[in-house]
Amino acid sequence: MSSELVFREEFSENAAKVMVSGEVDIYTAQLFKEKLYHTVDKSDTDLVIDCSNLNYIDSTGLGIFVGALKKIKQKGKNIFIENVRDNIRKLFVITGLDKLFILH
Amino acid sequence: MESHDRITITLPCKAEYVSVARLTASGVANRAGFDIDTVEDIKVSVSEVCSRIIGVAENSSKLYVIEFGLFTDKLVVNFSSDIKKVDCIFQNDEDGLGMSIINAFMDSVEYCPENKSYMLSMTKKF
Repeated sequence: MSSELVFREEFSENAAKVMVSGEVDIYTAQLFKEKLYHTVDKSDTDLVIDCSNLNYIDSTGLGIFVGALKKIKQKGKNIFIENVRDNIRKLFVITGLDKLFILH
Repeated sequence: MESHDRITITLPCKAEYVSVARLTASGVANRAGFDIDTVEDIKVSVSEVCSRIIGVAENSSKLYVIEFGLFTDKLVVNFSSDIKKVDCIFQNDEDGLGMSIINAFMDSVEYCPENKSYMLSMTKKF
């Protein structure tokens, strides 16, 4: 099985950056949520999420993105999602979340 | 219409086995002859249902069954379990994201069937 999740974060003056690799599903969702929310909590900048190595995400993971966006909006900041693969972009479009997030 | 082949897997209501359901769904859909994008859609839909079953099951020692029926014109995926609480698994789906995905990817979905042996059935036509 390859339900592994690798989460890395970097901080700079202008933005926090998170690199998510592997799969975000019901098995890895709790870990992903804890790490992403922790990054949001300790950053006062915009957040960039690099999804270039994210192979799979389900509705649980998308819900976590939404939760993180709500948290960061309370600080007046935003989330930018980069390098989204076509299969994942399709999920954002279908669920209407492409209108909520800034996808690159 | 008669089914050509049936593939059935039984899984525990545990999150760590959803990836097994995804692998199986991909394999079956690929074997059925769907294109690669549709295989991905079917895989995602199956995974969404599995996640929902596990989410409402409350008892990880219980089992659920996924049956793939390959017909000449369609693939039918039925989910069943003897857990009473998962009869209507998307009834209290708060954000509706899972249902949105399944509705978009599958041709038809039977969410809360009455007097059926399965608790959810979804179909993808060739």
